[in-house]
Amino acid sequence: MELSLTAEQTAFRDEVHAFLKESLPEDIKHTQTSGGHLSKEQHQRWHKILGDKGWSTPLWPLEHGGTGWSPVEYAVFDEECYRMGAPRVLPFSVSMLGPVLINFGNDEQRKRFLPGIRSGEDWWAQGFSEPGAGSDLASLKTSAVRDGDHYVVNGQKTWTTLGQHGDWIFCLVRTDASAAKPQIGISFILIDMRDPGVEVRPIITLDGSHEVNEVWFTDVRVPAENLVGQENMGWTYAKFLLQNERIGIAGIGQSKEQLVSLRRLASAEKKNGKPLIEDPSFRAKLSEVEIELRALDLTNKRMLVETERGMDPGPVSSMLKIRGSEVAQRLFELKMDAAGLYALPFQPEAGDAGWNDQLAGTLAQARSAPHYLNTRKISIFGGSNEIQRSIVSKMMLGF
Amino acid sequence: MNFDYSEEQKMLVQSLERTLAKTYDFETYRSQLATKSSHDPALWNSLAELGIMAMSLPEAAGGFDGNHTDIALISAELGRRLVPEPFVSNVVLSAFVLNACGGDSAAEQLGEIATGERKFAVGFYEPGERHNPLALSTKAEKTADGWSITGHKAVVLGGDTASELIISADAGGASLFMIPADSDGLTVRKYQLLDGRGAADLIFDNVSVGADALLGQAGQAEAIILDAVDRGAAALVADSLGAIEEIIDMTKEYLRTRTQFGRPIGSFQVLAHRMVDLLVDYEQAKSMSMEASVEADNEDAATRQKAISACKAKVGAVSRKFGKESIQMHGGIGMTDEYALGAYVKRLLVNETMFGDTDYHLERYSSL
Repeated sequence: MELSLTAEQTAFRDEVHAFLKESLPEDIKHTQTSGGHLSKEQHQRWHKILGDKGWSTPLWPLEHGGTGWSPVEYAVFDEECYRMGAPRVLPFSVSMLGPVLINFGNDEQRKRFLPGIRSGEDWWAQGFSEPGAGSDLASLKTSAVRDGDHYVVNGQKTWTTLGQHGDWIFCLVRTDASAAKPQIGISFILIDMRDPGVEVRPIITLDGSHEVNEVWFTDVRVPAENLVGQENMGWTYAKFLLQNERIGIAGIGQSKEQLVSLRRLASAEKKNGKPLIEDPSFRAKLSEVEIELRALDLTNKRMLVETERGMDPGPVSSMLKIRGSEVAQRLFELKMDAAGLYALPFQPEAGDAGWNDQLAGTLAQARSAPHYLNTRKISIFGGSNEIQRSIVSKMMLGF
Repeated sequence: MNFDYSEEQKMLVQSLERTLAKTYDFETYRSQLATKSSHDPALWNSLAELGIMAMSLPEAAGGFDGNHTDIALISAELGRRLVPEPFVSNVVLSAFVLNACGGDSAAEQLGEIATGERKFAVGFYEPGERHNPLALSTKAEKTADGWSITGHKAVVLGGDTASELIISADAGGASLFMIPADSDGLTVRKYQLLDGRGAADLIFDNVSVGADALLGQAGQAEAIILDAVDRGAAALVADSLGAIEEIIDMTKEYLRTRTQFGRPIGSFQVLAHRMVDLLVDYEQAKSMSMEASVEADNEDAATRQKAISACKAKVGAVSRKFGKESIQMHGGIGMTDEYALGAYVKRLLVNETMFGDTDYHLERYSSL
């Protein structure tokens, strides 16, 4: 047994490091490390830089633009990106849609859409949740009715992350309302958000940011060729998509970086005249979360290696998501507590690209409460932790 | 032993409830936030007319000689309705300090608090010094005709609306000064807190004030500062209770009415049991809040401090749990700005952190 990186893996880390050092634009690094919101242009510029290097879709099969990295190499890449202040490519096109198109789409669709995903030129949004279909996703109601060589789509999606920038949205829609079970009769379809009848309405969240949206569809005519796979098989593709997301789902890279910035903040803050980080009760809490992360880091890599070797991947992504979200939330909570009184002034735009106001406290303090509030979402979205536990219990306990 | 409020107190709460129900719903709160102000003169005046500012103040200053249980009742209603007005900074902290320090103009100033016509704020905390109200870097130097003050006060509750600022400074030991907000050399950096209440950072750069700016005796203010903070903490504990009761109502309603998988989500045991835990936590917090409201007036400092720290730590921990669990049980809707839950969660965060956070009070409790 050898739990540290091999010589090849270390060399790979150095290669990633050198690339990031040379290619990561200063302004993007600044927004990312400030904890602000990246602009659309910043997201796309960085996606393109990675795409040009061939690193924007590392987990795809080689013939479609993957890198052939092992799960450990991917983890090394992920952690190095966070360490260097590089944003991660958004998951919607690369991690969610791409593998579905590769596995279930047709050649025409792959030729049409994969290049725009690799380069980041097409901005993809995810259209799964609806106001009445959250945890019970299969009860979704947005309908697509066949009319000649089109589908006519009506309904509403919600919690559409960064949908305000969207060019395209991949949606689960109901194509057979009379099916015996709600899971049957759902299809997976690609909709051009610039088409008439698509309307995006912002949802402002309690941290004051605009990340999520409602997307409304009124008689939107979608060409039938935009159906992915077979009609009424969408639930199967959606389940594949969610299970396929396991690599990276634990958020190890981000949590390691948060740990570093938590230590930095706690070194700057004072308690009883000494740095907070020297305070025994704070240190105990810090150590507790640090040990949890240390265990999760190894569990993540071990499970990913074992699934590569044929272990049942079923419960893996749920387990990693549950514990990964808990560790991340704990880190953001400790950071807010470490920020002390200066966590309280509400400065939701602090650190965003172009933000230039006068701060109360430091930037790290100003971001701390909005981050804590914002990251309540990570145990809710993509299947809440309650749903994840039900998935694991069905698979491992049989009920 | 009795846990009852007096008839007068019940009447006061009823009239406050009625006024706020008529004039201050969640939409009013949201539109007030949109104005970027923590203060609405019309609302403030209507609160003053109800007598809520005067209730706890001495009769000599036009008050009703009430006590801290009055403050707790009022604070709970303000928390329940998310009212951002500077009640605690004026009626609890400033009034206590002015009363405790005495002096020629104290009676007149207390009268102005009772009517709401002049606003005060109290600043003890400083940047980089965690929750310790006695950590003093701000200095007051004696000059020929008064004092010169230099230093920085952090996140002063109500500092955005006050015309008079009461601050602690080192003048041969902790001392209290009252300084007009428009003094030369004083920068008042105003902002709103997470929940819309107002505050400010105060930066003093050789601010000259007269000899009469000193409140009470130079170097003798530590006991008053600690007492004032305890009263502020007790008021915020009560404010949190009001907010928590509202969160309970919203969450219970959501568990009953939101259906997924063909049934109300509250019928899933995993959620029902967690809600029950919250209800037990609430009862614990409510008892502690009652204790805080009684002990805030205790003249024995050690007994008072122990009780207040127990209450602040307990209610703080319960508040944090309520914030996390209520959002989680609501799911996405609990994350939105349009839905009131988030505003209550933010109100709890401010109350938890102000006047000593949970860790500070746990440590103080264990040291007493």
